Amino acid sequence: MKRGFFLWVRLWIIAGLFILWGSIAFAEEEYKFDISEIEKKPYHIGGYAEFRPVIFWLDSNASLYKLRFYKRDEGNTIEEHSGKLQLEGSYEKGIARLFVRADLDLKYSYLGWDHNESKRMIHEGYLSIKPSDSLSFKFGKQTLLWGKGYAFNPVAFVSRPKDPDDPELSLEGFVAASADYIKSFNGPLKTFSITPVVFPVYKRLNDDFGTVNRLNFAGKLYFLLYDTDIDLIGLTGGSKTNRFGIDFSRNITSNFEIHGEFAFINHQTKKVIDKQGKITESKFDAKSYLLGLRYLTPWDTTFIFEYYRNGTGFTHLEMKDYFTFIDKGYDLFLARGNDSLLKKATSVTQGNYGRPNPMRDYLYLRVSQKEPFNILYFTPAITTIMNLNDRSFQISPELLYTGFTNWELRLKGTALVGGKETEFGEKQNDYRVELRVRYYFDAVKAFDWLKGKIAQNNR
Amino acid sequence: MKKILICLVALLVAVPVHAIEGAQLLKQIDRNLNPESYEMYRKLINVEPDGRKKEYTLFSVKKGVDKVAALFLTPASEKGRSTLRLGDNMWLYIPNVGKPVRITSLQSVVGGVFNNADILQLDYAAEYDVEKVEEAGKEYLLHLKAKTKTVAYDKIKLWADKDKKLPTKIECRTEAGMLIKTLYFKEVKDFGGGIVRPSVIETDSPLYKGYKSIFIFANIKQRDFKDEVFTLTFMPNIESLR
Repeated sequence: MKRGFFLWVRLWIIAGLFILWGSIAFAEEEYKFDISEIEKKPYHIGGYAEFRPVIFWLDSNASLYKLRFYKRDEGNTIEEHSGKLQLEGSYEKGIARLFVRADLDLKYSYLGWDHNESKRMIHEGYLSIKPSDSLSFKFGKQTLLWGKGYAFNPVAFVSRPKDPDDPELSLEGFVAASADYIKSFNGPLKTFSITPVVFPVYKRLNDDFGTVNRLNFAGKLYFLLYDTDIDLIGLTGGSKTNRFGIDFSRNITSNFEIHGEFAFINHQTKKVIDKQGKITESKFDAKSYLLGLRYLTPWDTTFIFEYYRNGTGFTHLEMKDYFTFIDKGYDLFLARGNDSLLKKATSVTQGNYGRPNPMRDYLYLRVSQKEPFNILYFTPAITTIMNLNDRSFQISPELLYTGFTNWELRLKGTALVGGKETEFGEKQNDYRVELRVRYYFDAVKAFDWLKGKIAQNNR
Repeated sequence: MKKILICLVALLVAVPVHAIEGAQLLKQIDRNLNPESYEMYRKLINVEPDGRKKEYTLFSVKKGVDKVAALFLTPASEKGRSTLRLGDNMWLYIPNVGKPVRITSLQSVVGGVFNNADILQLDYAAEYDVEKVEEAGKEYLLHLKAKTKTVAYDKIKLWADKDKKLPTKIECRTEAGMLIKTLYFKEVKDFGGGIVRPSVIETDSPLYKGYKSIFIFANIKQRDFKDEVFTLTFMPNIESLR
């Protein structure tokens, strides 16, 4: 606890230093509209650097704590210090543009130093060709994030799962070839666009997507019809079972938006472990859907509310069996030092019980207040994700400040609340506090500024 | 009898403000501000009471009465963000998030006094009906009323220079008449191509006491675009129009 307190103090000192630095930097600035600021260059290099210390308060009675820490004692709290460098660069010539976004993650935790695998560092890397404003092609690693939901996207068939705890984080893409054809009209149908995607899954090429040695085809038809966005989405080809979906989004008034998604997944496979450790697989047709709204009050409070039905998820009973099996494995380990059951439980956790939103019914609510007390660029928010099947939930208050140009400071706490054999109650930690400090940069502008300063000094 | 006739003639002379087609005048003000289809660059500066400033640079394109898009060029934290408006529909694209999301016109993408509707301003005549035109010295005072509930400000009072037919001041109000913000149009400048208009708009708001926001305009040019540019699918490509 004491260790946690000191880290907390350190987090605040770091935040304070950034704010002080920002204030000094700004006090010296003056504004002008220099035409060089709008000059277009064919290349761009930029991105952000991030520092993110986190403290976790562990729950030693939780099943997932037992699964992860059965061989070690890390005390009541663990710390994690992560650094991230997101670099992006592009080069444009004529109708062609080359774009790369790389993500370098470095983490120091109770397990020592760690970094992301080199093959996962490139989040996006593609060549795009745009013969006209109506037609474009993209070849290479790309993120195709489909769906209208904020925290959940059941129709995002060709992207990696979003983290509902931080839905705005960039996601790693898959290697694919895609095209966009757009047509505008006058009348109730204002826009139509079609996005066909060819999606190969072979050894060392998208092999974490599904069954290998398959060429998959996905597609999206978009309509702006009667001021409503509508997408029809599909995926076929064999790496995953066939799936189809529809989504919509519409503004009801200038401060009220509604959206929804529906996905039908053919022959979904579910791997379930019972209390005794027997693993069974079942196949069924799953239906997932989402309904949501975004509402802005006259006093600038934004509500984002979503109900998510995960048709591929586990029932409360199936989840209880999984937790019971872990507890049984832990008891066996304590009694005889035998971790075979825990290893078996670990094998069904990854990408299955351990994936985000593993159960059936969820509510998501985020309430954010823009600039309270006239503090410009300050946005406090509170977010909750509730599992309706077992009544467990997590609640995360946060403070975001973006007042210093290119700096973003976010302090976020999370409490996980739930009883025995519930999703959030059995997570390895009870609380989490993190500070995220980001600095965005434009390397080309920085270089130009430096060049200008040198030239000025030489004069 | 003679006096009555003189009074009637005087009354007829006094009405011409009403006789001036209010809608026509508003359209003329719109056209004097911008060509119907254009590209332009803007710098937005938010100034805090202690003098601290935060600046944003935007590239904007517009076509017809209801299509407008804006792309953030600086600062680095906002670079690549784009906003699109197609009539009452409004979307925001954030490169990291990777997909456009619908937003509401009253939200603010940048914080401060300006909201999305200010950044993606359509022609006033497209969104407002002229209720009344008054003469106020060397200026016209136009009382505007929103055509639909989806417009950001229900009522607008617009002061326009009689000779130049350009706005000098605009008050944005709620349905109940509460003042939300005031825009001051300053420094009329020749941008070339026959475009002569204020190059600076200053804004303050009783809701943000002591704060102000400033728009500085540059490189306004008439330019035609295909309708397909103003679509949700095109949003990640707006940079290619520069």
